[in-house]
Amino acid sequence: MPAEKTLDTLRQELRKIVAEIGEISEEEIKDDANFIDDLGFDSMKALEVAAAIEKKYKIRISEEEIPKINSLVNVFKLLEKSLKN
Amino acid sequence: MKLQDKVAVVTGGTRGIGRAMVEALAREGAQVLFTYAHNDLLAGQIESELREQGLKAKGFKIDVRDFEKINQWKEEILIEFGGVDILINNAGIAKDKALMMMSREDWDEVIDTNLNGLFNFTRAFIVHFLKKKEGNIINISSVSGLIGLPRQVNYSASKGGMISFSKALAKEVAPYNIRVNVICPGFIDTDMTRKLREEYVRQMMPLIPLGRFGTVEEVARTALFLADETVSHYITGQVIRVDGGLTM
Repeated sequence: MPAEKTLDTLRQELRKIVAEIGEISEEEIKDDANFIDDLGFDSMKALEVAAAIEKKYKIRISEEEIPKINSLVNVFKLLEKSLKN
Repeated sequence: MKLQDKVAVVTGGTRGIGRAMVEALAREGAQVLFTYAHNDLLAGQIESELREQGLKAKGFKIDVRDFEKINQWKEEILIEFGGVDILINNAGIAKDKALMMMSREDWDEVIDTNLNGLFNFTRAFIVHFLKKKEGNIINISSVSGLIGLPRQVNYSASKGGMISFSKALAKEVAPYNIRVNVICPGFIDTDMTRKLREEYVRQMMPLIPLGRFGTVEEVARTALFLADETVSHYITGQVIRVDGGLTM
């Protein structure tokens, strides 16, 4: 299914972005791992993830949504929602 | 032109030091977005005067105490102008009187405008600066915030607060290539200092080694120095006194 493949690619790309910013390996990032509690991110790192996503996908993440950048699953949801809009 | 393609926000841009900074930044090629509290006519005059010289400045009537309105405006200008590079927090008021005569309103108004206004604008733009890993914040404090001046406990407290705020923020955001600096003007010839009592001015004058009040252009040129990253890129968290030597 092409649509599923696209979603899968998005997931991979996101994982790569988060890994790069968190300076950790992609394998370490479980889908539901909490960025702060499990991966040692701080709020600035979450913001960097937001900025990287905005740049890559030409979308805009509002300030209110930045606290939601706390796990791969949630970032994916956020990206999916933004891309639909 | 030193600031070609830069977008600068200046709060309190229609009078005194603020106006001089708006004009100086525009002359260096920046697109200047200035805010003002009351005077639509004056804001329009500044816009058209600069436009006639081929310069870019636009005024916006915004109360620096209104956090929500500022955030809404920020969203609008980020879309319209594609981003902001320089934020100059300049808007300020004074309500000078001896503490024993100072009302709670006198205190609140000065703190709300000078210190909370600084928070409101900086908070509004900081995420934008953090995301692009670039930003330049210049805060206009006063020598009153450094040494304290009589009949100004509200003003001195607000201006001292601006200095501490700036130092704390400079450390916080330096890893993101955002600079935060403070200018402390001394006695500058403006509407604000023209209200000072003659006797007080006579007392202060011998304390100024350069023997005169400063001009708004002299402060504006210091702001230009900080705004121009080619000359001040390694400077952050600093308090620059433009005071004729008053506080050395």
